[in-house]
Amino acid sequence: MSELQKGFYPHGDNAFIANFSESEREVLTNLSEQIIELLAERIDHQSDDPLAAMVGITSHDTPPEDEVLLRLLPNAYSDQVDASEFRRYTESTLRQKKQGHAMAMRSNLIAAIDGVVEIDRDGANDWLGAINDVRLALGVRLKVEENLPEELQLLAPDDPMHGVYAVYSWLGWLQESLLEAVMNGSQ
Amino acid sequence: MVKVNEKVEEELRAIFSGDVPWITIVWDDPVNLMTYVTYVLMELFGFSKEKATELMMKIHTEGKAVVSTGSREEMERDVARIHEFGLWATLQRGDQQ
Repeated sequence: MSELQKGFYPHGDNAFIANFSESEREVLTNLSEQIIELLAERIDHQSDDPLAAMVGITSHDTPPEDEVLLRLLPNAYSDQVDASEFRRYTESTLRQKKQGHAMAMRSNLIAAIDGVVEIDRDGANDWLGAINDVRLALGVRLKVEENLPEELQLLAPDDPMHGVYAVYSWLGWLQESLLEAVMNGSQ
Repeated sequence: MVKVNEKVEEELRAIFSGDVPWITIVWDDPVNLMTYVTYVLMELFGFSKEKATELMMKIHTEGKAVVSTGSREEMERDVARIHEFGLWATLQRGDQQ
């Protein structure tokens, strides 16, 4: 996608830089916004308890019906009763944390001048988490559980999933570059 | 006459001993990059790169690995932190593996 296939690289002691083309920046901003929207609270008709809402307790304790959302907010127990109880107390916080990662990525992209994004170590964790959430979401739609990479690569160019797979692969490459920059920088 | 099977006996023992450790299990999935799984384990648990890589390989080849052990509350915190970074983890009692 970009002219310089470089991704993220370390810059000094605690910074990481990437140079995005306009279309890459647009795609990433768009995806971060979709993740933020997807993770917005489920409308809760049952609980009007402001205190419960304040401390992140929700009355819904069933797993999300949407397959993508379920992958982002998975069950913590195989036992359904325990899983529901855990979800009631933690799902809201998990949504906020994941939204926080995507929001940080979006802000960096919007603030970028000439497509240059510079982030520190905390920012890198936001980006790694956010990119991963996007890949998890795309992975559900691409059915990577069943389809082998070789099969996905052979999708016809006019198949919309062909483009989705290209974005998915590019995000993997971008994430790998940031991981390499962070892990080598910290040793 | 009350009859208890082995499972119930175990349960009764656990109630009185009160120190059955809980475990956090990370499950394999085809989306997360191997480097990413290694990094998240290093970052969240302070593992060395060698230890994290070993656990990642276990997850990758065996489908799952135990990444932490402790009280139920501690394991719930670990699972929540792992979910924040998109790996799939569950917790359970250590004697029910």
